[in-house]
Amino acid sequence: MIAIEHLTKRIGETTLVDDVSMVVDTGTITVVVGTSGAGKSTLLRMINRLITPTSGRVLIDGQDTMDIPEDRLRHRIGYVIQGNGLFPHRTVAGNIATVPRLLGWDQKRIRRRVEELLDLFQLDPAEFANKFPRHLSGGQQQRVGVARALAAEPRLLLMDEPFGALDPIIRGKAQADLIAIQRRFGTTIVLVTHDMEEAFHLGDRIAVMNDAQLLQYDTPAQLLTRPAAGFVERLVGSSDRPFRLLSLAKVRDAMEPGDAPGEPIDPDVNLRDALSRLIWAGADRLPVAHGNDTATAHISVSGILSHGRPPQ
Amino acid sequence: MKYVGAIGRGLILVLLLIFILTPDSFAPLFRPLTENNAPPIYNQGSLLSLTLSHLAIVVSATAASAILAVGLGILVTRRSGLEFLPLSRSLVNIGQTFPPVAVLAIAVPLVGFGEKPTFIALFLYGLLPIFENTLSGLTQVPRVTLEAARGMGMSPGRRLCLVELPLALPVILAGIRISTIINLGTATIGSTVAAKGLGEVIIAGLQSNNLAFLLQGGLVVAMLAVLVDGALSAVERLAASRLGGDDTPKAS
Repeated sequence: MIAIEHLTKRIGETTLVDDVSMVVDTGTITVVVGTSGAGKSTLLRMINRLITPTSGRVLIDGQDTMDIPEDRLRHRIGYVIQGNGLFPHRTVAGNIATVPRLLGWDQKRIRRRVEELLDLFQLDPAEFANKFPRHLSGGQQQRVGVARALAAEPRLLLMDEPFGALDPIIRGKAQADLIAIQRRFGTTIVLVTHDMEEAFHLGDRIAVMNDAQLLQYDTPAQLLTRPAAGFVERLVGSSDRPFRLLSLAKVRDAMEPGDAPGEPIDPDVNLRDALSRLIWAGADRLPVAHGNDTATAHISVSGILSHGRPPQ
Repeated sequence: MKYVGAIGRGLILVLLLIFILTPDSFAPLFRPLTENNAPPIYNQGSLLSLTLSHLAIVVSATAASAILAVGLGILVTRRSGLEFLPLSRSLVNIGQTFPPVAVLAIAVPLVGFGEKPTFIALFLYGLLPIFENTLSGLTQVPRVTLEAARGMGMSPGRRLCLVELPLALPVILAGIRISTIINLGTATIGSTVAAKGLGEVIIAGLQSNNLAFLLQGGLVVAMLAVLVDGALSAVERLAASRLGGDDTPKAS
């Protein structure tokens, strides 16, 4: 658990982060979103002390980060930045091994960990371990950047616009990979982005920042249905708000008893995709079933649509 | 093209070795350049030992310049040393502004004749290229790379040794190469203050109006410069290729 308490950063007359307090639960993804210059990167960088707060403190599992020597603190916290910052003079394996080497792991353990991570990111160790970063595509470099941050098995991962430089298709894949890895290791992730779509896709909770202040810190659904007045409302209140809301709920949340004709939909599909299927099939209702099971429930257009507006 | 250069340098090396080891075998070649039965081949000392002394003073002076200039370059690129940048700049600029001949003139009354004033002149003259290259090499390390290094918990010393210097190395080496080549030529004037070196051959040629001596001294220095330049360029390329700059095609 990370507790951020009254964190403030001032440089001269400018306030970059103004009295921010929030709690990030262990094993969740928290996305900090806001326009550029809102202070979100500064907030993130105060967690691993790349920036020293003017006042306030950060507790990780109850321990004040100021009590831990800064290099040791950073060995324990994974850090991924936009443009990944891979070392151009080190191979992929050398890059991933950075923190384990700083920690003095033995060669065998380092090699095993590097191979494990390369496998995890679908990069064949035999092909990629000895390549230099400049010989990789942007997506591959990004994966190596995340693998490097995870090398020493950190329980906390900080990501600053990690997917900003990727094209939309590779970005979607990178986001899916991140969710899979987060599920697998239970890593706590704090991710900064200016992309609302990304925030709603990844975040268990979303923190909205503007002008150095934390305006709202809530679940995606709460943010959509009960946005704080002003900036947050304008930020989430675009025409696709109902669709975002639909993409947060699953078919199982909206299904009704009784069979229906047609190709069955899996209960774990989100409602936005389910609605697409209904529109495409030209049907008003479709059966809901796992794989080849017999359908005992169905999903209807009106049932889906009722989830696309705030509860009355 | 690459091979032509390598073969050319190989031939020059062979020619140079034959000439400084057995200069007399070239006597027929140089005789037409002499008048009044003057000796066609330099005869006031061994060419081999002059060449070695010449190289020794160039290498030692450039090594000393490199240590100071790289050290200063590192110092002024640290946050705490930034204020020394103007001072360091003027220091190394003085070395370049004073012509080596003037430095010799000033140094001789202070340290006497011989190798010492030459060493001082070459040392000062070699500082600027190395310092400026160290500076540009260290400042062109990408910010995002340094940020990543800091974020992973590398101490300032480790960042310098494991990231900044390896990335700046090719540029620093280029500075050292330039200084070495400049000093190889400049060292000839050291012979005016009695430093042992290939300048002796040239000065002897000037004094006795012997075109053959002049040419021999000049040619040996020129060939040394070409060879040293080739060798140091190869080291630079090696360092650059360690940065992943080889020709493997980019994956898609």
